[in-house]
Amino acid sequence: MSRKIRQVQLVGGKIRQLRKEHRLTQSELAGRIGVQQSDLSRMEQGEYRVSLDTLFRILAEFDLGVGEFFDDVARTTFTPQDVQLVRHFRSLPAEDQREVQEFIGFKRAKMLDSKKPSSDQ
Amino acid sequence: MAPAASVKAQSSYGQSQLDAGQTCWRETHDLRRAMIHFDAAMQWALEHGASELWDRAFCNRCALEIEAGEAGESLSELREIVLRSRDPETGFLAAYHMATAYDLTGDSKRARFYANIARDRVERLHRTDYRIGSLNQMGNLLLAASQFEEACSEYEQAYRLLSQEPSVELAMVLDNIGYCRLMQGRHQEAMLLLHRSLRMLLKLKLERPQAFTRLALCYAHLDLGRFRSALLHGMRALEIATTYDDPDSAKYALFLLGEVHNQLGNEELAYEHFCRLQQRFYPGAPNVPNVLMALDVRSLINLKA
Repeated sequence: MSRKIRQVQLVGGKIRQLRKEHRLTQSELAGRIGVQQSDLSRMEQGEYRVSLDTLFRILAEFDLGVGEFFDDVARTTFTPQDVQLVRHFRSLPAEDQREVQEFIGFKRAKMLDSKKPSSDQ
Repeated sequence: MAPAASVKAQSSYGQSQLDAGQTCWRETHDLRRAMIHFDAAMQWALEHGASELWDRAFCNRCALEIEAGEAGESLSELREIVLRSRDPETGFLAAYHMATAYDLTGDSKRARFYANIARDRVERLHRTDYRIGSLNQMGNLLLAASQFEEACSEYEQAYRLLSQEPSVELAMVLDNIGYCRLMQGRHQEAMLLLHRSLRMLLKLKLERPQAFTRLALCYAHLDLGRFRSALLHGMRALEIATTYDDPDSAKYALFLLGEVHNQLGNEELAYEHFCRLQQRFYPGAPNVPNVLMALDVRSLINLKA
């Protein structure tokens, strides 16, 4: 079974949800990212598309990390074991998280090396 | 300034300088030399009270300033010309250039306002080239505002006015109509139009504009799950964007290539493309690659916004 984390589709409705969670009105957010309020309203309804620059300005306003979408990802692609693992990871202090990441990096490098064809052949 | 004089009636040094400036710009794109001609035309018009000629030369000069990104101080005078000019051609040119200038500064509301005036004025002229230019301008503004049906209508009118001989103008109109259809989810129609545009550009041996068409084709193939074709068009678009130093096309090529690799399951390559995108265009946003790996943002993105 594929262990790949499938992307979650970011849609206008999610932008509306995030805006409300951050207690911003459409006018406030529109002003901050440099679009008209009517366009932001259309975007939240899935009728207006923006440039990559504008999208990243929006995400920056929400100080967005992947974590905000973790619950959506978990619902669609993670096993309960995956979820527990990530929860445990996130509960660790930053220094311990770095150590775990380094260990995973080491294990992945070892795995990728073992898959490479031998140069002698 | 002395009473107005008809531009057409002036068979004069001023008129010849205006004509020379237009020819110079059209044929050589030598901005400095064209400016010298327009300045000479304006000086002659000032000395001889030829206000319409002065306005026309000023409009032409502004078009060059806008091209060079230096039109700021001239816009108030250009706005006055929109209001005062009785010559429909000068009035059209002034409104058209105002719309272009506002579009370039991202003020879409004002750009639409002046593009509407230009479209109104062009109806009184029997100039197909101006009409096509105006329809294209309005189409571009509507497209950037995600009004795809309305934009398509403008481009289709322009298409009907254009000669059907292969040309870059015809290829770009086909590209724009195809892109509108793509955004409307009409993929098969979009594919036919975009491929027709690409074939025309290949036949004309025009490489640079292929970047836009190939990006749209990459997007379309990606939507349809034809990842290998998406990859080929995306990679070619990136090559062209790099060759011609076209940052906007490079940005979207990196984004789309990352998306294609992500869909193909090539996580390392997807991450690599998103990292290149972040490092070159969003250096202050280190989270961009992780966000793009986790989120499919395609339904929110307009490549021509």
